[in-house]
Amino acid sequence: MCPVADGKPPALLVQGLSKTYGDGFTAVAGLDLEIPDGAFFGLLGPNGAGKTTLIGSVCNIVRPTTGTLTVFGHDHRSRAARRLLGLAEQEINVDRFLSIRQILIYHAGYHGIGRKAAVRRADELLEVFRLDGKAAARAYELSGGMQRRLVLARALMHRPRLLILDEPTAGVDVELRSEIWRLVKGLNAAGTTVLLTTHYLEEAETLCDEIALLRAGRIVDRGSAALLRDRYEARDISEVYDRVITGEEVA
Amino acid sequence: MTSSTDAPPALPSSDEPFRPERSPFVWLFEREVLRFLTIWRYSVLGPVLSTVLFVVVFGSALGRHVDAVDGVSYGRFIVPGLFAQAIVNVGFFNGTTSLFEARRDRYIHDVFASPLRWWEINAALVSGGVVRGAVVGGGVLAVALPLTGGGSVARPLVLLFGTLGVLLVAAQVGVIAGSLARSLDHVYSMESIVLLPLGFLGGVFYSVRQLPPVWDVLSHLDPVFWLVQVERIGLLGQGDVGAGWALLVVWALAAVLSAWSAAMFATGRLKP
Repeated sequence: MCPVADGKPPALLVQGLSKTYGDGFTAVAGLDLEIPDGAFFGLLGPNGAGKTTLIGSVCNIVRPTTGTLTVFGHDHRSRAARRLLGLAEQEINVDRFLSIRQILIYHAGYHGIGRKAAVRRADELLEVFRLDGKAAARAYELSGGMQRRLVLARALMHRPRLLILDEPTAGVDVELRSEIWRLVKGLNAAGTTVLLTTHYLEEAETLCDEIALLRAGRIVDRGSAALLRDRYEARDISEVYDRVITGEEVA
Repeated sequence: MTSSTDAPPALPSSDEPFRPERSPFVWLFEREVLRFLTIWRYSVLGPVLSTVLFVVVFGSALGRHVDAVDGVSYGRFIVPGLFAQAIVNVGFFNGTTSLFEARRDRYIHDVFASPLRWWEINAALVSGGVVRGAVVGGGVLAVALPLTGGGSVARPLVLLFGTLGVLLVAAQVGVIAGSLARSLDHVYSMESIVLLPLGFLGGVFYSVRQLPPVWDVLSHLDPVFWLVQVERIGLLGQGDVGAGWALLVVWALAAVLSAWSAAMFATGRLKP
């Protein structure tokens, strides 16, 4: 049974997660992680550190080798848990046969939402993400920034309690990046827990209540940005990252 | 972007089951049907047209110079086999391409991350192939039967249950192939290297009783032979095997393939 603080289960609890792929590569090795309900949590680490495998395991995209994962107290494989999860992946992985509007509607449908509600929410989010003028277009007809907005809108269609954002601002311009962060901060303020991976360390420092540093499939340290700076006597998170991740890799 | 006012939903208690407003399976099944209707020229019209051309060229034009088979004109004799081949091809391709493209584009992550259960995903993919096969098959019969003299269906129940079994076999093979394929080359080569030869050697254009005894026996090992037979018995009332055997083999094939396909989804073989 997962720990319950103040009567509330954590948004995400990962215990002893390991994942070894078919080719023998171990991406995650005995990882433990707890993210409180309502947190804005940053996960930092180099490519290959295990971030995407962790996220894939939580979201039922990857089969963990060992470990238990719960989402708000529900086993991550349960339908109740999956209803509470929203995922915006780094890649633009959308259905090429559907229009932009249909992509949103069918995503809501896969989460059990009725047609009327799905249509209403799709139209709302198309407006919020300024995609309403492209509602009938296919995803491949959109610009890179629009595709990124579409993936984020899709993740929000079923109003998840835990929103997982894997590099949501990779390759987007400064203006769109700040728009995305403003929206995500608003969602977090309204009660949505956010798990964010990003290579923009200054963004993680500004946005996140807590940051975990991931290296070689393990969490090597975690804490608030201020705590980590103090612990490593660093000026900012970039310096902490250099010492904990880059420095260790060099050593 | 404007600000979103959507607050997240209230948390369900840890023992509260998921209660959908509308079944996620129905949504995914609808998407599968919408997918092939979106590309109807390729997915429906093309297979109907090419099969009807076979009927016209081999049946109506060349068939005049070929003897009747068991008292049935050659043009009419080949209709059941071509009908079987058409629905096998589209059922197979529907499952293969739909699943392979979903894997390649990683759009399937959106499905795996949703509350859809493994068997619902499997059933929706297979049902999509079955519906497409039924639409194409219906189109083929609607044109081919009048072209070859019309007439009634000899054994409607055999045709109904046989066709359902054939559709299921084709769609399940397609889904299995779509889960194993690693490239588009795999997908398309399966048709030309496996499906097409099995079809041609499965008695689409001839009765296996016309073959030397060894080939007659070998033909019985070809699964497409049984799919053709069940349609021929249903439509013409006669075949190279009995109706009971044909139905039994087709449904046994459907059961084995369904179990294989289900096992792949249940054990998460589609996920890394």
